[in-house]
Order: sequence, then C-alpha cells, then structure tokens
Amino acid sequence: MKKIGILLLSVLLLAACSSGKASNSADYPSKNIEIVAPASPGGGWDLTARSVQKILKDNKLVKSNVNVINKPGGGGEVGWNYLHSKDSHNLAVNSSLLLTNNLLGQSKLTHKDFTPLATLATEWQAIAVSVDSPYKSINDLMEQIKKDPKSIKIGVGPGLGNDDHLAFVQVADMKGITPADLNFLVYDGGGGDVVTALMGNHVDVVTTSLSEVKDQHLAGKLRILTVSSDQTLEELEDVPTLQEEGIDMVFPHWRGIMGPPDMTEEEIKYWDEKLTEMVKTDEWKKLLENNDWDDFYQNSEETKAFFDEQEKLYKDLINDSGLVK
Amino acid sequence: MKAVKIGMPLLMIIIASVFLISSFAIPRANLGNPNGPLYFPIGLSIFMLVLSIIYLINELKTLHERNGKIQGLFEGRTLKLIAVTIALGVIYAFIFEPFGFLISTILFLGCLLFYVNGWKKWKANIIVTISFSFITWYGFSELLGVSLP
Amino acid sequence: MDAFLQGFQIVLQPMNIFWVVIGGFLGTIVGMLPGLGPATAVAVLIPITFGMDPTSAIILMAAIYYGAMYGGSRSSILLNTPGDGSAIAATFDGYPMAQKGQAGEAMAISAVASFIGGVLAVFGFIFLAKPLANFALKFGPSEYFLLMLLTLSAIVSLSIGKMVKGFIAMALGLLISTIGIDPQTGVHRFTMDIPHLSEGIEFLIVIIGVYAVGEVFYNFLTIDKVKKEKKKVGRIWFTKEQWKRSKWPILRSAPLGFIVGVLPGAGGSIASMMSYSSEKQLSKKPEEFGEGAVEGLAAPESSNNAASVGAMIPLLTMGIPGSGTTAVMLGALIMLGVRPGPLLFENDPGMVWALINSMFIGNIALVIINILLVGLLVKILDTPAKVLYPLIIMLAFIGTYTLSYSTVDYFLLLLFGVIGLFMKIMDFPIAPLVLAIIVGGDMEQNFRMALTSSNGSLSIFFSSGISITLIVLTVLSLFYPIVINRFKKRSRNGDKEAISA
Repeated sequence: MKKIGILLLSVLLLAACSSGKASNSADYPSKNIEIVAPASPGGGWDLTARSVQKILKDNKLVKSNVNVINKPGGGGEVGWNYLHSKDSHNLAVNSSLLLTNNLLGQSKLTHKDFTPLATLATEWQAIAVSVDSPYKSINDLMEQIKKDPKSIKIGVGPGLGNDDHLAFVQVADMKGITPADLNFLVYDGGGGDVVTALMGNHVDVVTTSLSEVKDQHLAGKLRILTVSSDQTLEELEDVPTLQEEGIDMVFPHWRGIMGPPDMTEEEIKYWDEKLTEMVKTDEWKKLLENNDWDDFYQNSEETKAFFDEQEKLYKDLINDSGLVK
Repeated sequence: MKAVKIGMPLLMIIIASVFLISSFAIPRANLGNPNGPLYFPIGLSIFMLVLSIIYLINELKTLHERNGKIQGLFEGRTLKLIAVTIALGVIYAFIFEPFGFLISTILFLGCLLFYVNGWKKWKANIIVTISFSFITWYGFSELLGVSLP
Repeated sequence: MDAFLQGFQIVLQPMNIFWVVIGGFLGTIVGMLPGLGPATAVAVLIPITFGMDPTSAIILMAAIYYGAMYGGSRSSILLNTPGDGSAIAATFDGYPMAQKGQAGEAMAISAVASFIGGVLAVFGFIFLAKPLANFALKFGPSEYFLLMLLTLSAIVSLSIGKMVKGFIAMALGLLISTIGIDPQTGVHRFTMDIPHLSEGIEFLIVIIGVYAVGEVFYNFLTIDKVKKEKKKVGRIWFTKEQWKRSKWPILRSAPLGFIVGVLPGAGGSIASMMSYSSEKQLSKKPEEFGEGAVEGLAAPESSNNAASVGAMIPLLTMGIPGSGTTAVMLGALIMLGVRPGPLLFENDPGMVWALINSMFIGNIALVIINILLVGLLVKILDTPAKVLYPLIIMLAFIGTYTLSYSTVDYFLLLLFGVIGLFMKIMDFPIAPLVLAIIVGGDMEQNFRMALTSSNGSLSIFFSSGISITLIVLTVLSLFYPIVINRFKKRSRNGDKEAISA
C-alpha cells in the first residue's frame, strides 16, 4: 500500500514537472495550485484556506490538485512575503491585516503588491457587556466613556490595530470621543480570553467578532449591545445594528483571497469564474452558516476598488487610535 | 578551563547589559502608560545583571577547583563534533527548502552519521540514513499531512 | 442520567471505539516526538474530520490530546528531551531513573499515574464541571499574575544550592519572553526589524533546542569514552515499593492538575510543575527528588493528564478554549457545525456525554497501549549512542520546522542548543529558563492589565481571597525549603550534641 502510494506520488510529481515547462496561459493551471495560509494550522486563515481547497477539489472546479501550505509569522507578513516571490499557481488568503500591517509600519507590502482575486466572506463585529451591566445601549455606554474614559475597561484581543480594536475606535470617533483616551485591556489569547474576562467582570465591555459572543448572548450569559452589520441579523432580532442606534457605520471583518503580482488577464478571469462558482455551492453556504460568516463575495475588479476604499478608512482609524504618531 | 568558568558569568553579564541598553531604545508607547513596555525588561535585566555579578564573584572564588565537565569539553573530538554538527545544521537550513526535504535530510543525516559513527560502519550508516529519512518523510508529510518542501 | 447512558451507547459503537484507540495511539506518538504536539496533530487532522460525524470527530480530537500527555513523558524519561511543556517535569526524576536502569519501571508507573489522573479527572468533570467553570471566571489579571509567579517561584525553589543560577536562568527566560510586539501598546521590543521575531520566540523551539540538541551536544563529551556498561532494563513493571511511594502523590496530584487545567491559559506545564514541587515539599525524603525518586515522576504525570481533561471544561461549558490544543479543537468543531458553549449541554447532551464517557474508554485504551509500548521503547536505549544522537538531531530539526514552516528557526534551534550545552556544563537548572519563557509573556501582560484596571494601585494584588492564598503559597514555596533545611540541620546538630553528651 505504502509502496503504491510512493510510486503514484513520484509519477504525479514527474507529470507535474514535465507539464510545468509547457506552461502558457491557455492551459492554466498547468500544475498544482498552492493556497498559502499565513498562519498556523487551526486558525481562521487556515480554516478558510482549507475550506476553499476542499470545495474546489470536491466539486472538481479546478482540474489540477490543490494544496494548502502554512507560513505563519508576523501577522501574515511571512506568508504574504512568500507569496510575493511565487508564480501564479500560488494564492493566499488575506484579511484587513494586509492593509493594516503596512499602515502600522509592520510591513512594506500593501495590497497593491498583489493581485486581488476575491473577497469571500465577512464576519460582523459585536460590542457586548455583562448581563448585570448598567449600560443598556451603545449610546449609554459611549456617554459614560465621554464623561470619564478611564472608568470603562474595554477588553480586546489578541493585539491592537486589529478589526476588533479599530471597530470600537470608529464608534468612539463617531461619538466625538478621542480614541487615544480609551482604556483598552489587551488579552493576547484573543477572543476567548476576552469573553472570559467579561463574564468574570474583569472588564466592563468587550469588542470582538460576533461568533465569540453570539451563543453567550442567546444563553443569557451576556448582552450584545450592537452589531456592525448593515441589517438586523437572523437569531439576533433583539440586537440593534450601529446604524439603527444612530451611528452611521458598517464594519465588516472580511476575508479574501489573492495571488502574486503580475497575474495575466486570463488567469484573473479564470479565478473570477471559479470562485463565483465556488461561493454558489451548498458546501460554501453551509460553511458560512457554521462559522457565522456572511456572504461578502466581490470579484477581482470589485475587490480592488474595495481595498482602496478600505485602506483610506483604516488609515484614518489608525491615526485616530493613537497607535502611530 | 578557567576561560569557560569566567566566560559563562561574563556572557550572562553581557546578555543582561545588552537587554538593559536596548530596553532604553524601545520606543515610547503612544497608548496608555508611555513607559509601560519598559518596566519589565529594565527591571529584569537589572535583576539579571546583579545576579550575574554575584555569580561571577562566586566563580572567581572557586576558580581553582576542577570541573570534570569543562575538561570533557576540551578532550578528544568533543569540540569538533559540536562544531561540525552546528555547521551541518546551518548548511541544512540553507538547502532545506531549495533541495526539498528528502534530499537535504539524506545529505544532512548521512554526513552527520558518517562523521559521528565513523566510516567503518558505512553500511549501517547508509541504511539508517535512507530508511529514517523515508520513514520521517512518509510519516510527517503523508500520514500527518504536514506540508514539507 | 439518561443522557449519561445515551452517551455510553454512542461511545460503545465500534466506530467510535476505533477512533478513540486511533486518536490515543496517534497522540502517544506525536507526544513523543519533539515539537509535534497535540495542537499540531489535531490541526492536521482537521481536513480528515470534515467528512466525519461530529461526535466521532470530537472524541478523536480529545483522544489525541490526552494521548499526547501519555506520550510526552516517554522521551523525557528515555532521552531527557521532553516532547512539550507538560512533559518537562517528567525529566526531573524520569531520566535519572532511566540512567539507573529503571526505564521500564519509570514508563510503566508514568502510564499508570496518567491513567489514574485521567480517570479521576473525568469523575471531576462529571460532578464539578459547572461550579469549576464559574470558579475559573473569578481569575482576573491579578490572579493570573500571581498564579504564574507561584509557578516560577516553585520551580526556582527546586534548585536548592544553586539559587543564583536558578534566578539567572529565570530572568533570562523572562527577558526572552518579552521579545516581540507588546500586546498592550503595540510597541516592538527587541525585534531588530525581523518580521519573524514580531510574534516572539516560540517556546517549543527553546525546549527542543535546550533539551534535545543541548542534551546531544552534552553527550558528545563522553561519546568516545569507553562504553558505559550496558544498563539492564530487566523490569517493565514497577515494584510494590515504588507503588507504595507513588500512590498518594498520584492521588493528590490529580485534583491539583485538574483544577489548574480548568483555568484558561494555565494548562499542563503549570499543573505538572506545581504538583512536582508540592510533592517535593511534602516528601519525607526531598533529597531524593531529582535523583530518580519514583513519586517525583508519578505526581506530575498524574497531574498533567488530569489537566488535559480539566481543559475541556471551559471549552464545553463556555466555548472558551483553555489551551492551544483546545483552541484548535474549537476551530475544528465550528467547521463541523458544532458550537461548544453554554447551549451545547442543552442542545446536544448526547454528544457531550459521549465525549466524557469516551475519556474513560480512551484512558483504559491508552494505559494498555503505553504499557505494551514499554517493552518496545526501552529498546531505544540499546541503540548505539553514535547512531541515536544524529537521529535525535534530525528529529529536532524536523520538529522545529513543523512549528513555523520556516528554516529561520533552525538557527534559533542551534543557538539554544549551545546555550543548553553550557547550562548543563556549568550546572545551571534548565527548567526555570524554559518555564519562564512559557509563562513570561502572560505574566507581564496580566501584571500590567491588573495595574491598568486598578489605575496603578498595587492593592489589586491583595483584593481577593484567591490572590491572598496565592501570595501565601508563593512565600511558602520560596521559604519553606530554606526553613526546612535549617530546621533539619539544627535537629541533626541537636542529635549529635545529644550523642556526644
């Protein structure tokens, strides 16, 4: 059995090598596709990459084999650097860190150094307090922060400059509060630790992804004050969106996929077709549902414009947050 | 011998000082307490520095006592073995990704085995090298699904 | 009760028993290999679990987790190279036992200790899950800081007679843990603009470097000397005497490990260290600890396995992962459409009870697997050193690669190997260095978060019953050994005087 496996593999490898030479855009992809997950196995990026891999494979959307390769480090930096030097058979998953790393001075690469292929899905942000908290709405809470910023401890994780942090900064901004005065406690264990801290009353409010707090809210263990989506969410009809609370903003926590720089028109078109097909599959819809993600599909063209727009937003938020001078 | 005995505390003093000096070079934070990130490293490096100096004094007092372990370091081919292993490790790091897992591991393990175990047992060396490289490659990359180059 | 029986029915399906055994075996193997831990093993299995029934998937993943606790100590005992943080304490007495030719006994007792710890913890899970989950919530930043302080002081106090070196090692470890981006402020510390360093130095690289590579370098000192006479590894089962000595430490360590395991973020490393040091302090023969005292091996083994069961509690009752492995499990379960959390017990009690009951079966399977493996594993000691050491080096490199998929870490591995070598030559205790790196980051962050939330007042560290208990324990752990030593000397002197008089 083992021998057959090795034999098969070497045949495959040989085949891959020989066909690789004759690569031209007409028969793209001419060898195995590699999806870079710029994180360790098990995290959000890894799960996204592996889901895409599985759905592409199971539905035979792509004729060549698809592999996932993990390149963790530097908040995505290591993996994206790796992708930067590769050919068009390599893709990588991304999120807003692609933009913020550069704005925070942690990376030289920006979205302009890659070929955006699609925005795939989004999570929504939530702001939650404990059930016995005196603050019944986001506006109550913001008023107290305005009066005395130090009196409210805000739990966030795993690091400053991420969407959880910046979403709250934007809310504060909109309410005329200087974001640099906000009293953040940063739990580097991430969302789970933040929720534990809230349930133990070690912080007054948390800002995190909806999925971290949704079940606790439904079980009556804590209270979500508001969500960052554009419309009221299923199962959470009692939770107002920010817009309904008079704070005019929508804050997606998106995930997407991109390729190395200099992909040809045909290659981009290829992925536009395949990914449009992929997000229509039942498996993809099931995946979104399981993860509490929402469909946020945008094709390569739209994603490019979306990135430009997001970059402006993040630039302002980071400046306001006081993280960089 | 004496060099190692004094060298260790000196090295610790140097490490502590480097941490201490570069602690002061940490940029001030824009959020919260501007010196927040500094206290821990500065406190710890001072703590380590003081203890390393005490350690140095202790070593100086017992400078003439024999230490069999240090002697072992300079006997036979110990130093050479360690140096060769490190050198091979560095080469391994450079060839690992370009050559791929199997070839680089066979080269690395083979060289190491031939050097440590001697040329006389070349048959055993070759068998062990090839079989173990294959077993680990198969185990990691096929059974565990770890992506190896 | 219905749910309990229903759970048993699910577990006893042949397919699920099969997964328990497979998971336990796989866990044992990855636990033994340096660097590869349960977190990686669970993560790489995620694609396989995609097609599985969610109950089978969670049973399989849990089995890998506690299986790794069994396996982790094998390499600690045989080669002085722990597979991960929870297995460090097993080197203290496990390796000396192996050097005395008691490798078989050591592995057998550690398997049995793990078994007892695991089973007791499952009982704890059944009866105490909810109250303990609520207790864990009481741990805020100040309590976490003090818990970590207690662990560190307990570990340093083990190095009696070389306290200065112990503290230097600890300080160095804590300094290394500050490398990377500071979470509270986003400031880069000691990263030298290398993106690879911005997330800090992975503690597993330090463990592999200092223990595995360092140990091989250290053995190069004697590799060409006349062959040490071959130790006979006759027994593969422990003696009655050994069992008598270990019985109570095993029973005491299980609840301790279980409770520490429930605390999110504490985990097996802290649990096993704490039970080791408390057993040493309780022991009538503390001087035998570190020289191959069987209870010094049995106690942490019972403790870390109990901790791995405890870590499931916050995951299942609140949806909060208490360790790296349970974090990966959470991700995997979500992919399968199961969302652990407060609603799981109500919505899907069958699955929860199936998991709990699978831990009984799993621990029985594991103790059998591990005892059967003893006979095979002791053969490793028969391998000629000159072949064995290059192989360990190779495994260390590959283990490191699987941590970050980058060869940059190879240089760190070699650096820590050299550091480990010199620490061994100069008689430094190694555990304080490694443990400081494991807990250092969280310790500093929690300290600063505590101060932020009290607006800078230190009184927060004395503000709860838990904090005060932890402070008292810390002081005791530091001074108890010293006091006891004095006391013993005095009474010995007293005896002499009595004789001479």
